[in-house]
Amino acid sequence: MNRILALLPWLLALALLAVLPQVLTVKYYLHLSILALIWVIVAQGQNLIQGFTGYVSIVQAGFMGIGAYGSTLMGLNFQWPLWATMIMAPLITALFALATGYPSLRVKGHYFAIVTLAFNLIIVIVLVNYSELTKGEAGISNIPKPWGGNREAFYYLALVLAASLTLLAALIARSRVGEILLAIRQNEDLVAALGIAAWKYKLFAFVISAMYAGLGGALYAHFQGFINPEIFGVAQSLDAILAVILGGSGTIAGPAIGAFLVVFLPELLRFADSFRLILYGLILVLATIFMPIGIVGIAKAAFARIIRREVRHGG
Amino acid sequence: MSKHKFTRACAALALTLVAGSSLAAEKKLTVGVADALTGGGAVYGLPQANAVKMAAEEINAAGGIKAGPDIYKIDVIAYDDKANPTEATNAVRKLIDRDGVKYILGFCCSGSTSAVASFIGNEKAVMLVGNAAERSITTKKIPNLVRTRPPADYTGQAAGTFIARKGQKRIAVLGALDVGFYAQYVDSVEREIKKVGGEIIAREVFSLKDRDMTPQLTKIRGLNPDAILVVGYVEPAAFVYRQAVELGMNIPRYGFTSGSEEQFLRVTTSEQMEGVWDLRPTELTLLSASKNGVAYHANYTKKYNASPSPSSPYAYDQLYALKAAIEAAGTAENTEAVAKALRNLAVPPQVVMQYQPVDGKMFDVNGQAYTSNGAFQWQKGKWVFVEDLPSDSKAYSQFLSTLK
Repeated sequence: MNRILALLPWLLALALLAVLPQVLTVKYYLHLSILALIWVIVAQGQNLIQGFTGYVSIVQAGFMGIGAYGSTLMGLNFQWPLWATMIMAPLITALFALATGYPSLRVKGHYFAIVTLAFNLIIVIVLVNYSELTKGEAGISNIPKPWGGNREAFYYLALVLAASLTLLAALIARSRVGEILLAIRQNEDLVAALGIAAWKYKLFAFVISAMYAGLGGALYAHFQGFINPEIFGVAQSLDAILAVILGGSGTIAGPAIGAFLVVFLPELLRFADSFRLILYGLILVLATIFMPIGIVGIAKAAFARIIRREVRHGG
Repeated sequence: MSKHKFTRACAALALTLVAGSSLAAEKKLTVGVADALTGGGAVYGLPQANAVKMAAEEINAAGGIKAGPDIYKIDVIAYDDKANPTEATNAVRKLIDRDGVKYILGFCCSGSTSAVASFIGNEKAVMLVGNAAERSITTKKIPNLVRTRPPADYTGQAAGTFIARKGQKRIAVLGALDVGFYAQYVDSVEREIKKVGGEIIAREVFSLKDRDMTPQLTKIRGLNPDAILVVGYVEPAAFVYRQAVELGMNIPRYGFTSGSEEQFLRVTTSEQMEGVWDLRPTELTLLSASKNGVAYHANYTKKYNASPSPSSPYAYDQLYALKAAIEAAGTAENTEAVAKALRNLAVPPQVVMQYQPVDGKMFDVNGQAYTSNGAFQWQKGKWVFVEDLPSDSKAYSQFLSTLK
């Protein structure tokens, strides 16, 4: 019974998202919802390394870029079918993550964050300067879109992938691997003292996290039809971190909620005109100060308080 | 004719006139602006958005746009795209999907413009690009896209000829060379100076947010160049000019920036700017301006309490071109007809920039307009138009047509 109750909000959210395209009369909101679902995938990946393992990585957008360019260039240069390139995108990203993760994860805390930030900068510099392949800052246009650019169909693709990868993240979190990742976050030295090779688990989290980003990047490229290096800069990596913090770090629902916030909030604030970004920044500062456990954390605490009160009154 | 008959005839005539005029229903035409209103690109984007709003007020005051039996008064909605591709896509999607806008103007910056250009061909909308100078925007033959600003390499070719004529052989470049159109400008300059035995001896890069360019300048100084060429946004370019003087580099300074006096003087002094050349399209400066340009400068300054940036009329001219195209097409509803009319448009008399029509048309087959190019020099606190730069719009248009 408890399990069904716990699943109920997820089923409701899924049902709501499934009917969304049918009730949205303004397709602009469908466009934003697709972007938000792509960001759900990216943020779930970020949560694996940041929320569960306790390592703040600032290269998630860089990995998105590798997935986006990987899929696009394979399609354009080798004429591979779109679906094949999209499947290949996270695999290519995984290779890069393996190569960068091994040296990066030798350091901890702020040092790890700085190293990954440097990797993001390097990825952007390579994308800008290797213009024979990437077309540099001008970017690549007319990237093929599935179903001739039908946004409704793409929405369902993004929804299925976001839901599946959220489920996968939940399965990882509940597995023995997930428990070790949480233990690494709590006390890495203790984990090592127990004879567990922590580096293998950290590398696993980092690579899986990158694969999520790679797939998110490929989806972005084939949805928007245009990519250039600017889209995959450090600012976007910070958005991924922000999505995790705002929603609730180390939770499964948190990154999903946070992803919708980082996409919708700046758009909803357009009424503020040139003060939009000031207002957005202010909301983020206040949210981080007053809600460090994120929306899910606050909701859980409030729910627990209500239950306690009910029990007290009942007893 | 009796007095009664005459009165009745007059009344009938008056009635006909009133009925006739009431047939010309007044409607609202909403045009959208997607541009960088905040961030680094705002030095170009904000004046562009202001220019469109000003043009709309002028057109409305003069009676609006006549399209067949209808008269349209213009309403402008402007959204910030931060010069970011994703933001630009979101802004344009909002304009088209939510606000029902069919005509989208502005577009100061190349990355964000290219993102929108990649899907605008599938929309029942017309996109008019302003200051964004990346060449590829008009090489894709998108039928519902036109651009008022010429591509950077069109201007670079003319600039190279000018520098070559000045006799400097060893040129050091410092600029935002990771931005495609600046690199294209420099490549064109290099091609021209090579023809007279000149060379580019250094290509140093700054990013658009950099403010300390002394390391690059110190390196360049060590190479002993005959001149430096600075390509980039206004602020970093202003820092280069200032720091070159502070480092004692007493050599000619050429640039491609399109900044106003006011924008440069926020960073540097007039003395430090003295003698700097800006080799760019013949954009707005009071000394080069036509009668329209003088009026535009005065009206803009009065309305916004600031001088217009030299490139802002690209956006102002967009709205007058759109007005003429809608009137020629006789409809504002049919965007295909308006897009076609834009391609066949003669240069409207109200525009500010000095366009060089190709085969008598403002926009060529690629949807590209060409202005003349000019050499401007900073003299005693002002950009002074010194001379026209040789530019062959027809030859360039043919070259552009060969690109994919």
